Amino acid sequence: MDLTKLEQISPFTYQIPASWRADMQVPARIVGDPAILEAASADRSLEQLVNTACLPGIVNYALAMPDVHQGYGFPIGGVAATAAPDGVISPGGVGYDINCGVRLLGTHLLREEILPHLDGLISALYAHCPSGVGKGGPIRLKAKELRQVLERGARWALQRGLASDSDLERTEGDGCLAGADAGCVSERALERGRDQIGTLGAGNHFIEVDVVAEVFDATAADRMGLAPDKVVVQIHCGSRGLGHQVCTDYVKRFQKAIHTYGLRLPDRELVCAPLNSPEGRDYLAAMTAAANYAFANRQVLTHAIRHSFEQTLAGKVARHQVFQIYDIAHNMARIETHPVGGRPRKLCVHRKGATRAFGPGSSELPPVYRDIGQPVLVPGSMGTCSWVLRGTQTAMEQTFGSSCHGAGRRLSRRQARKQFKGVTLRRELEHAGIHVMAGSMSGLAEEAPGAYKDVNRVVDVVHGAGIALKVARLVPLAVIKG
Amino acid sequence: MPSDPAKTPSTGQNFVSSRQGLAPSLTTVGFYEEIEHTADLALKCGGPDLDSFFRSAAMGMYHLIGIGKTRPDGTLTQTVALEAMDMESLLVDWLGELAYLAESQNLVIGTIQFQTLSDTRIEAVLTGSRVSRIEKVIKAVTYHNLTIQKTHEGYAATVVFDV
Repeated sequence: MDLTKLEQISPFTYQIPASWRADMQVPARIVGDPAILEAASADRSLEQLVNTACLPGIVNYALAMPDVHQGYGFPIGGVAATAAPDGVISPGGVGYDINCGVRLLGTHLLREEILPHLDGLISALYAHCPSGVGKGGPIRLKAKELRQVLERGARWALQRGLASDSDLERTEGDGCLAGADAGCVSERALERGRDQIGTLGAGNHFIEVDVVAEVFDATAADRMGLAPDKVVVQIHCGSRGLGHQVCTDYVKRFQKAIHTYGLRLPDRELVCAPLNSPEGRDYLAAMTAAANYAFANRQVLTHAIRHSFEQTLAGKVARHQVFQIYDIAHNMARIETHPVGGRPRKLCVHRKGATRAFGPGSSELPPVYRDIGQPVLVPGSMGTCSWVLRGTQTAMEQTFGSSCHGAGRRLSRRQARKQFKGVTLRRELEHAGIHVMAGSMSGLAEEAPGAYKDVNRVVDVVHGAGIALKVARLVPLAVIKG
Repeated sequence: MPSDPAKTPSTGQNFVSSRQGLAPSLTTVGFYEEIEHTADLALKCGGPDLDSFFRSAAMGMYHLIGIGKTRPDGTLTQTVALEAMDMESLLVDWLGELAYLAESQNLVIGTIQFQTLSDTRIEAVLTGSRVSRIEKVIKAVTYHNLTIQKTHEGYAATVVFDV
């Protein structure tokens, strides 16, 4: 793509006009800077963004966050809002790992308090948080209880004694999204979900013990329980095989739906159906069920993390309790209200590799965060750093209340395997004081810090654009990879 | 172009056998190659006929998830019956089925005996065995830019996998 033809419409926003390609319904916007644009033009990210701008019923513009990189259908870091209920919903615009997301847990512990016990803690976390391909967990759900998980999400965990009211309050959508229907989830998806609750999975999923390295917004940080040298824990995972199967089932079903509804698309992975069609309604209900499963999954992992802290630190360190800071989804479609043409309008906002970044005052935020804005969690690559940001009114006005979800990949997995060796990488990370436990050395190499963009640059851009503001920077002490 | 494979069910002798298992060196008539993809994994595969094309796709995917050199002993048998609206969908379903067996049961297939193979239908008997662990997960086989090219040399496609 010829970058000189992009219009710069603000210091950190560039636009590809709708006239770029005949099938674009709206312009496409990239939140970025020249270096991010250059990186995005090196793969097919921008072409995928232009394809996204062709979705029937899309409003305002298709968006790419500064961590944008090539995905399938949508680019990773893509946001698209379609009119509800007349517009479309696209399973490929959510992705296969429905409600893949990040949970941040806080502690009262300081770095020096935990360091003597870190090896034991990591071993306990590795033992109690099953990880790896297809790995099942200690809970095998019967059909009735699985249905409860799908329809109640983290609320199911509360009833089982695996969560607190505060955990749920500090989760997007209270960890229990309305409208889920287990009846719209296939038997195969249900079977895959039966024993994977409370498991991490593989790929880029992780549990990371971090320490707060720097605070940028003392008021917001204090509200979240963050202070310099405080230990926190991040969980990154999603809806496991159940969610993958839901998406697979509906992408297949929608291949026929696009003919039924006469929809023309530049990529079959963008298949969609009207929200008010039987196919669209069924997918939304099934996706919501999978999203609830993911909230419950991260909640059960939270319980396992609490148990690990208790097992390792009880009697040795005072105040070792773990509390929830926030939990957000970054692969999801949500029905939300945002301004279109100066008027509020109900929309279906697809975020694929992008998070909500709702600003102060939003009724969807828990009271504890309502005046500061939603915590936005931006994990970096292991070995670098992660960020906690807060959502803004600017995001509500310009990006459908959305921001970036991570660093964004720079190298392909193949290139990463060529450049890095898992064993060497682990040694280097250990040398830098970062403990690593990983089920796969080649998987570890694919996730090498060098395979990712500079998360600080991504965060500088969203901060500069005003769509999410810096609260705190985290650095890793230990990482568990699937 | 070879004769219609749908009318000539294959025994798979050119590619794998239960004795030798699924090994890259046995790719005599098809090909596969990992290609660059920033976030996920992508595979280019092909073959002179439908039979070798679908086998190459399977072996290429196994290669991507690190079980391409596994030698299953053929102790387990699994039947597969798939029907799709077109060949691209059939390819997605075929690879999706093998990825599902790998993820959910750690089952690696060593021999594939197609009973029926057409543009839109597969009926096959698969034999293989369980492995202790699989390193990488295929979350899904995608339709992203998926077009099967049919030329005088046979069939070829590039498949993107969500991982």
